[in-house]
Amino acid sequence: MAFLDNSGDIILDAVLTDHGRKVLSKGDGSFRITKFALGDEEINYTLYNANHANGSAYYDLEILQTPVLESFTNNASSMKTKLITIANTNLLYLPVLKLNQNMTNTKTHTLGAFLVAVDRSTEGTDAAGTTAAVGYNGTDQVQGILFGESFEDSNYIRIDQGLDTTEISPKEKSQISDMIESSYIIQIDNRLGSIVDKNGNRVAPDFIDDDNIGFYTVDSSDNIVSDNLDDSNSTSQTISGPRGTIVEFKIAASLDLNTSTFLFTKLGNTALMTNKAGTPASQSVRFIDTMVRVTGMSTGYNIDVPIRFIKTII
Amino acid sequence: MANFYKTLNQTNDIVNTRTLLHEAIPLTGTIVSGTYGVENIKNYSHGMFQSVYDYPYLSSSANHIFDITAGYANNSGLSASANNQNSKKINIYNQMAQVMMGYDQTGSILQFDEDGDLLAGGTKQKENIFLNFSRLLVKDEIKKGSFELEIGVTPEYAQNGTVFGDRIKLADLSGSDGYLVNSPVGEYGILYATQSAGTNVMAAIGSGHSTPVGLLFYQAGVAVITGSIFLEVASGGILNNAHNNVSMSGPSSTEETVLAVLTGSQISGAADNIRTRIYNLQFNNTVELNSTVYFCRANHNEFNYSSNPTYLSGSKIRVKTQTTDVPVSYITTIGLYSDNNELMAVSKLSEPLKKTPDNEFTIRVRLDY
Repeated sequence: MAFLDNSGDIILDAVLTDHGRKVLSKGDGSFRITKFALGDEEINYTLYNANHANGSAYYDLEILQTPVLESFTNNASSMKTKLITIANTNLLYLPVLKLNQNMTNTKTHTLGAFLVAVDRSTEGTDAAGTTAAVGYNGTDQVQGILFGESFEDSNYIRIDQGLDTTEISPKEKSQISDMIESSYIIQIDNRLGSIVDKNGNRVAPDFIDDDNIGFYTVDSSDNIVSDNLDDSNSTSQTISGPRGTIVEFKIAASLDLNTSTFLFTKLGNTALMTNKAGTPASQSVRFIDTMVRVTGMSTGYNIDVPIRFIKTII
Repeated sequence: MANFYKTLNQTNDIVNTRTLLHEAIPLTGTIVSGTYGVENIKNYSHGMFQSVYDYPYLSSSANHIFDITAGYANNSGLSASANNQNSKKINIYNQMAQVMMGYDQTGSILQFDEDGDLLAGGTKQKENIFLNFSRLLVKDEIKKGSFELEIGVTPEYAQNGTVFGDRIKLADLSGSDGYLVNSPVGEYGILYATQSAGTNVMAAIGSGHSTPVGLLFYQAGVAVITGSIFLEVASGGILNNAHNNVSMSGPSSTEETVLAVLTGSQISGAADNIRTRIYNLQFNNTVELNSTVYFCRANHNEFNYSSNPTYLSGSKIRVKTQTTDVPVSYITTIGLYSDNNELMAVSKLSEPLKKTPDNEFTIRVRLDY
């Protein structure tokens, strides 16, 4: 998209998103706009210079000169960062979402992403017990590999919410009390996988958009969101200050990835991994890299978790 | 409690409006008759009509602007089986008549009527030239009272731009308040001819005389023009007898009348003769714009913080150094959502708007359909 002309009056460039057009085309009255949100995705707040020598009028001069791109029609590409309404104007800290990798079974793989084994022969849970599997190293589960078919692993993705500062004690829960997230939206490419809880129970998506992105709203009733009651300085915690909630989930591989190599051929590539016998770079796998986005329903803060779907080539 | 969605009040924040937009469509005659030679003119093997483009039509940049065709009724004096493409010319007339004028109670096709008064009978236009304008130009309809077509009627035949000394202008003079509504394809007006260049071009009264010479169907984007505009009164036309008939390139010479062309030439030949006489063509089109306006109101105590990752360092807000500093955020985007949190529409401001607890904004987002 090009930049908008910012030489004169402020103009507004409005478009229907591709998903909006899809809903409108149904003609069943489901196209109904009921609310709005404001975004600031072009803004780089690190340009805010509160120490500018010329005074406060110059603090945000560079920010105000930021050129703004035309609207994207892809619904998943817009409104990634939103403005938040909080009645208290005296806040100095806001909660963040942070991937918790402080426990063995919540760490990413050494490749830097969570790997999802899409079938049992990749997991190493098939009856044949083939050595081509990459989910095990000998009898030990490999760190950061989620079993996308059987869920017979202890690994999962954990995201913590809270004020990540050492300047406020984790025991000062009141500092975050009106900013605790009770529900989250998780987005994942529906062609590749879906969201399940730590026990492998599937969660129903709210909707699948025109680009095949599945949107899941999850809360405590899905066994995915829970309060973080630990207010100690435990090494298992990744949030240094007051804590809100924890999001814990796994990813189920889609039937397409489980039973076919079509999408791997179309969207992915191949690589070598360590096999079950522990021999490095000995097993060829097909892979597809993607992202899972988790967004707090209250603050709008989001985090992208890198995911790689893998399937052994036997 | 923190939140980032604000519910729109269905009564006060959402308004539906309807606006008519008009664009001026000027077509200089040279595009039609010579700028690109015949590279922007497309003829078809079926020979039923000729298409005019604004650029050589083999180029992907070319836009189709209108089609020309011609025909006569089967009870016209011109109709004869020996004519060149006789049945095709009758078919064209009937096709255009059945679409534009419709049928009578017996199911017979109504013919084009000079004054549109079908009940009174009156003069029928039985030999017509049809200009069918592309939807690209017409959009929803031709604006009433805006159509002007200037045609060169210099008697001599030429293709070098010298036939425009004497001209008549065809316009829907009463279009803005005197249009007719008894057509199955919507509203139409009567095209009147006036002399626009030369002396004693039109019959008897000369300059300023208005004569009905055709019909303009606004929504259909079709001009139906009688072939008599190229004839003197003595031959059944509108031109001064002293002015003579307009010479055209017919089947045997370049000094033939429009009647000879309509009978002896193919439709494409008639179209060539007419096209090269077009001096100027202009009208305004109309687009009916149905809009929904969403008033997105950001009050002083709303949208003052951001979930932008750069907004925080750790968890500390970058734009504040102490708790009593006012929070600052910058609006660049407005997202419109459904109940189900589906992003239906998005709009961008051309520059960031600074939002603090000291100010409020009402952003008016208009979606056009």
